[in-house]
Amino acid sequence: MMSGKREFSDADTGFVLSTLEPDQLAESKRVAVPRRVLRGGELALLWALRVYVVFMMAVVFWQAWIAVR
Amino acid sequence: MSVGTQNGDKSRVATQVTVADAVVVTHEDMDRAQDRSRVRAARMAHGLRGKAWLLWLLIGPGILVMLGENDGPSMLSYAATGATYGLGFFLPFVVLTFAMALVVQEITVRLGAATHRGHAELIFERFGPFWGWFSMIDLGIGNFLTLITEFIAVRAGLGFFGVPPWAAILLALVVLYSALLSHRYWTWERLTLAAAAFNLIFIPVALMTHPHWSVVAHSFATWQPVPALNKNMVLIVLSDIGATVTPWMLFFQQSATVDKGMTVKDIHFGRFDTALGAALAAAAALGAIVVTAPLAGHISAGNFEAAQFAQALEPVIGHVGAALFALGMVEAGVVASITISISSAYAFGEVARKPHSLNLPVGEGKAFYAVLSLCAAAAAGIVLIPGLPLVFVVLVVNVVAVLAMPPALVFLYLLVNDREIMSGVESPRWANVLAGAVVALLTAAGVFYGVSVVAPQALTWLGGR
Repeated sequence: MMSGKREFSDADTGFVLSTLEPDQLAESKRVAVPRRVLRGGELALLWALRVYVVFMMAVVFWQAWIAVR
Repeated sequence: MSVGTQNGDKSRVATQVTVADAVVVTHEDMDRAQDRSRVRAARMAHGLRGKAWLLWLLIGPGILVMLGENDGPSMLSYAATGATYGLGFFLPFVVLTFAMALVVQEITVRLGAATHRGHAELIFERFGPFWGWFSMIDLGIGNFLTLITEFIAVRAGLGFFGVPPWAAILLALVVLYSALLSHRYWTWERLTLAAAAFNLIFIPVALMTHPHWSVVAHSFATWQPVPALNKNMVLIVLSDIGATVTPWMLFFQQSATVDKGMTVKDIHFGRFDTALGAALAAAAALGAIVVTAPLAGHISAGNFEAAQFAQALEPVIGHVGAALFALGMVEAGVVASITISISSAYAFGEVARKPHSLNLPVGEGKAFYAVLSLCAAAAAGIVLIPGLPLVFVVLVVNVVAVLAMPPALVFLYLLVNDREIMSGVESPRWANVLAGAVVALLTAAGVFYGVSVVAPQALTWLGGR
């Protein structure tokens, strides 16, 4: 949402700016949302779920492979 | 994220016009502003007609995501459920899964409306690329496997009418690409909504089986009979959950909410849109279970594809009913192939910081349209390769979706409770409790499935067989 190749008249530009919220403009997406630091508990939960996903995916693919063969 | 007044504030307009020279307005902005201008006009209109028009303008992403998730593998899962267990426990259970989907998807409406950012974008920027890439890998694998199954459903559904596989796949791709030709979010959304409405065909087809309404009512009132607890039952439970709650839905609805231009003022309409979508999709899903229920005990539904279900149903509902069932499967595959490939393209654009909107002309959104087209074409191509174990994909796709959901939901929970970005529309405590319950339920279902595979004898301790 960041390309600005096409040009519009002042009236069109005024219409867009008066109709959309500033954050809705494609150009506003150039500015990243500030990073937030994950707390210890949040990190632990995310890591636990990551391990869960990897382990369970292995189980699923193994079972499906057995079923297909 | 600034919420700001949407419009009508003269001083703000004046300020913005004076800085117009410093701002680059794109084609995408212009299209979105035209859509928002109609919403503004509708909001000023009085009476029931004005409200109805406003609702018509603002519905879309919620219905699309819910009917889109009634996709090929989902409808096959519901059909297998009915054909294996008949009516009973699974009727209210499927309604419960749609309630879970509603809880989760409503959050994406608030996130999109408050931040005007897509889901992948927010995860990457707020939590960094390390966690962002994990989410993208989950999404990428899930989306691609699901896309393959959509084309399998189209191929199988049209196979009922004798259409050769290559022609069926080509037709699906033509429909998918045609829907994008307008390069206008609004037009695309209305066209896809019209196509998605065909998903409701499962309701009249279910009525053609003349279901015993007392049995249906008994199922909802008592959740009985509960099938015997075994590996197959656990797989069907997980498959039915994966048929309603999946990661692509989070990414798609949030990005579509942003692309549509919805704001905080529109959240209650977005909520209604999502609830309506959930109700319609649940009705279609229940229809698929009811229609195949007469087959219970007569067939083994494990590896059935759409055409085989339709053929098995012919003695029950006649050729017309079976043909409608097969067409329903085709619609499910086609609409989901559109929404899922767009979900992948949105996520790619957000992460790669490339323009990503259905309002983009091809020239301004080359990467967006290329990813969308290539994903669909690659999945379609795979379906046509002879000898590939496609049943493997059908078997795992819904289960993979369930397993990938808990981490996705934790990110959703963290984002929606983030006061710095939510502009006052964070989740209240009760909504957090509901979301937490969904995470716990999905994780427990996944663990239960793992136990049923790794140590099936453990199910006997829980009363299983």
